Amino acid sequence: MNKQERRQLIEQEIVKCSRCGNCRSICPVFLAENNENTTPRSKARLLEAVLENDIELTAGVQQRFEKCLFCKACLTHCGSGVATDKVILAARTAAAERNGISPMKKLAFTGLRYRKLFDLCLRAGALFQHVIFKKLPDGRGRAPRILLPGAGLNQRRIMPDMTVSPLRTRLPEFIPAKKADSQGTVLFFTGCMLNYFYPQTGDAVVNILTANGWNVVIPAEQCCCGTPAFTSGDEATGRVLAEQNVQAIGSKKYDHIVTACASCGAALKEEYAHILGDSPLLAASQNVAGKVLDITQFVLQHCDLTKLGKVPLKVTYHDPCHLVRGMQVSAEPRQILQSIPGLEYVEMKDASRCCGAGGSFSAVYYELSRHINDKKLDNAANTGTDYCITGCSSCRMHITDGLTQRHSPMKVLHTAEIISMAYEAGGKEGETC
Amino acid sequence: MLKPEVLNKLRAVVGNSHVLSEPEDMIVYSNDATILSAKPEAVVQPANRDEVAAVVKLAARYNIPVTCRGAATCLSGGTIPLKGGIVLELTRLNQILKIDKVNKIAVVQPGVITFDLITAAGNAGLLYPPDPSSMKESTLGGNVAECAGGPKGVKYGITRDFVLGMEAVLSDGSIIQTGNAVDGDMCGPDWTMLLTGSEGTMAVITSITLRLVPLPAVKKTMMAVYDRLEDAAKTVSVTMAAGIIPTTLELMDNLSIVSVEKYLKIGLPVKAGGLLLIEVDGVLSTVEENARRVSEICKQCGATEVKIAQTPQEAEDLWRARRSINPAFGQVAPCKFAEDATVPRSLVPVLVEKIMSIQEKYDVPIFNMGHAGDGNMHPTIMFDKRNKEQMARAEQALDEVHIVTLELGGTLSGEHGIGCAKAPYLRAETGATGYKIGREIKQAVDPLGILNPGKMFFYEGKLH
Ligand SMILES: Cc1cc2nc3c(=O)[nH]c(=O)nc-3n(C[C@H](O)[C@H](O)[C@H](O)COP(=O)(O)OP(=O)(O)OC[C@H]3O[C@@H](n4cnc5c(N)ncnc54)[C@H](O)[C@@H]3O)c2cc1C
Ligand code: SF4
Ligand code: SF4
Repeated sequence: MNKQERRQLIEQEIVKCSRCGNCRSICPVFLAENNENTTPRSKARLLEAVLENDIELTAGVQQRFEKCLFCKACLTHCGSGVATDKVILAARTAAAERNGISPMKKLAFTGLRYRKLFDLCLRAGALFQHVIFKKLPDGRGRAPRILLPGAGLNQRRIMPDMTVSPLRTRLPEFIPAKKADSQGTVLFFTGCMLNYFYPQTGDAVVNILTANGWNVVIPAEQCCCGTPAFTSGDEATGRVLAEQNVQAIGSKKYDHIVTACASCGAALKEEYAHILGDSPLLAASQNVAGKVLDITQFVLQHCDLTKLGKVPLKVTYHDPCHLVRGMQVSAEPRQILQSIPGLEYVEMKDASRCCGAGGSFSAVYYELSRHINDKKLDNAANTGTDYCITGCSSCRMHITDGLTQRHSPMKVLHTAEIISMAYEAGGKEGETC
Repeated sequence: MLKPEVLNKLRAVVGNSHVLSEPEDMIVYSNDATILSAKPEAVVQPANRDEVAAVVKLAARYNIPVTCRGAATCLSGGTIPLKGGIVLELTRLNQILKIDKVNKIAVVQPGVITFDLITAAGNAGLLYPPDPSSMKESTLGGNVAECAGGPKGVKYGITRDFVLGMEAVLSDGSIIQTGNAVDGDMCGPDWTMLLTGSEGTMAVITSITLRLVPLPAVKKTMMAVYDRLEDAAKTVSVTMAAGIIPTTLELMDNLSIVSVEKYLKIGLPVKAGGLLLIEVDGVLSTVEENARRVSEICKQCGATEVKIAQTPQEAEDLWRARRSINPAFGQVAPCKFAEDATVPRSLVPVLVEKIMSIQEKYDVPIFNMGHAGDGNMHPTIMFDKRNKEQMARAEQALDEVHIVTLELGGTLSGEHGIGCAKAPYLRAETGATGYKIGREIKQAVDPLGILNPGKMFFYEGKLH
């Protein structure tokens, strides 16, 4: 989007803001901080002042736009239909162009552009992570040994273990269905979190797909979906990554695309169309967008629920923002969980309220994001369940961190993992009878 | 800008992070839910009564204006610091201090969100009836200062009917207690009532004692559909004349119905000229009886259909239509003047017709709807502020709505307050003598004139 288009978009959206303040009751950052500066209406007001030349896009304005989780709650709650997400993105991009972004982010996003280098760095990171992080005895992850504020690492923060053998290096590009009569081929877009931190989720997705008779293709050329870059206002990097992914996907043959990361899914499905607005790859990206399904959508539409076996766990579910509001997926995971035999499902209060992770938000505003997370943990604890299930690895990481800090016995699992457990149990039951 | 000396003293009172003074903060705190705007010189967020008193004392010493602010959902410009100075944000005083089940009383700090009190009272088996549509955001301090109303006003009354007493900080920093937790308190003039609806011009409210009522046993929700809006309006006066007092009587015109339907798609009658959303509550036998009688009256007055919700879900669907009017405005135009014209209930049909003709005369869309049961209508004029010519027509239509309301013996504000938005018409409502007394009372209570200057009786623009 060029400057002129961005200005038009901002103008057209903020004129709709009636300053009614409805967004005060929903914005998690406002609810935590109780300061008008953090409400969506204040963001609209600030941009109005910028357009009227009352103030420039100062670092102060930029910082106010940074204090947003991008949870999209205001978007669905705003009576006047202000497209706050687009406004915030446009403003972040404009501010980044004027003032730049933090050196740490800049370095990280530049690294992201070079897929092989990025991969090498993270794999090296996995080998050397013990230098910076100490492993926790309970196996939940690692805590930093030293303060790394620039990297958004607070000494309290628990990170997941980085894997020494990332998912995509371990798995072949093509994995055939476990059944003889294959139903077709699914392209699995893994994303970074699954690849480097939670490969077990990736394994679960592959299990689910192959057990239901689908071949899986995992393009080796895929890279980060770009969400961290473009939501921080680095549109250029976002674009490079989007193009690389669209090309990587386009070079494969597949019937559906499956994601198990809400941000990747929403990026492929929604955001690329904006980022690639005037790119020759726009048509290809729209083709991609039309095929994307979250793993839970895919399971409901294309897998056999009657083969789910017993999983005797008591669970609750947390809606990742980019899944419930980004991809409109919220009924699907619940429906699947409730059809797993032996599984007891308890809905938590405000299940769709943001957990406070918000990508780099939790790095920059760690204490604030912990504070927002506390509400989530309380609501989860009140269900009296042993597991919190969620469909996003960032949420998982943040909630796990919070649980560990609290010494809570509750554990977090990705939805795909519990579904995979159920299919495995179903398979075994089948064998015995 | 306030002098650094003053800022430092303020910081010493409330703590560094609770004095905001960056240029960006001043923009963010320059508005409420109106289109108007003026920047403060600092925002101060006290945590308790003593901090409030200390801040006001400082302001008095340096002659700095103080404008109170709750959630800033005000629709009359009440929180806009017309003369700069301090915006005093009271949302950190957000404790429900007491819910007394036996005496049916709640004591709250002003920053408590209205909905939080309604929930807490409900958990104790009690009802706090004032339910402004902004209740999930608005604060009780703001409600009392504006004397807010809501859909339940027909039966239960508005905020003023529930305020028993309060604690407030006067403009010199001294503290006053008014009223009493006893219902029958009648020691002298009602100071509590003087501060209720004073819109932050007389004192800073720091604690409020509110009356609660028992939760009604049952309620019934229904919707009556009319070909002609006038017939819906007539139903309101006939119902009230018949001696039935519903909890709610909400009117929606065709524009509201069509816009809500576009937004919600729940199968509303888009061909209807108007509809009424009616709720009756109480004990089972009277509720059944009243619902039956109301639906008869609706039919007599020309309703083509009366639908009584059979399940809580159906009732919720009907309510959703009413609550979604605000979101639905956006279907028509991006900006609006949400008005608050209130007339005696018997004149609702006349007001409705007049508003229809104002809409034609100025060629601007007007949503003709509101809490018809207590005569409190919300004609909402739609425009795009980027279109100057259209905005001018909208402003003329707004003028005429005010004038027509006063001509019908009504009032400028059923609930949104006067602030600066409606101050130009205040003298026309009170009369010259009433206006003079209004000024004198304010001067007696706030001799320094630092509390919310430029509002109500101290508006400095042209008067009608
Ligand atoms: C979408 C929408 C729907 C609405 N629906 C209704 C409705 O149904 N009924 C209704 O009555 N109103 C309604 N309003 C108007 C508004 O919500 C009410 O006036 C509400 O009472 C304001 O509360 P607040 O906390 O936002 O106060 P603010 O807007 O912050 O302040 C309102 C006034 O009170 C003063 N004030 C605030 N706190 C104090 C205090 N502690 N001491 C002294 N003065 C104080 C301020 O100076 C200001 O003059 C609506 C507004 C919106 C935007
Ligand atoms: S809810 Fe929407 S219209 Fe209302 S203040 Fe927030 S952004 Fe503006
Ligand atoms: S996206 Fe979420 S955090 Fe950001 S302004 Fe909207 S509600 Fe607040």
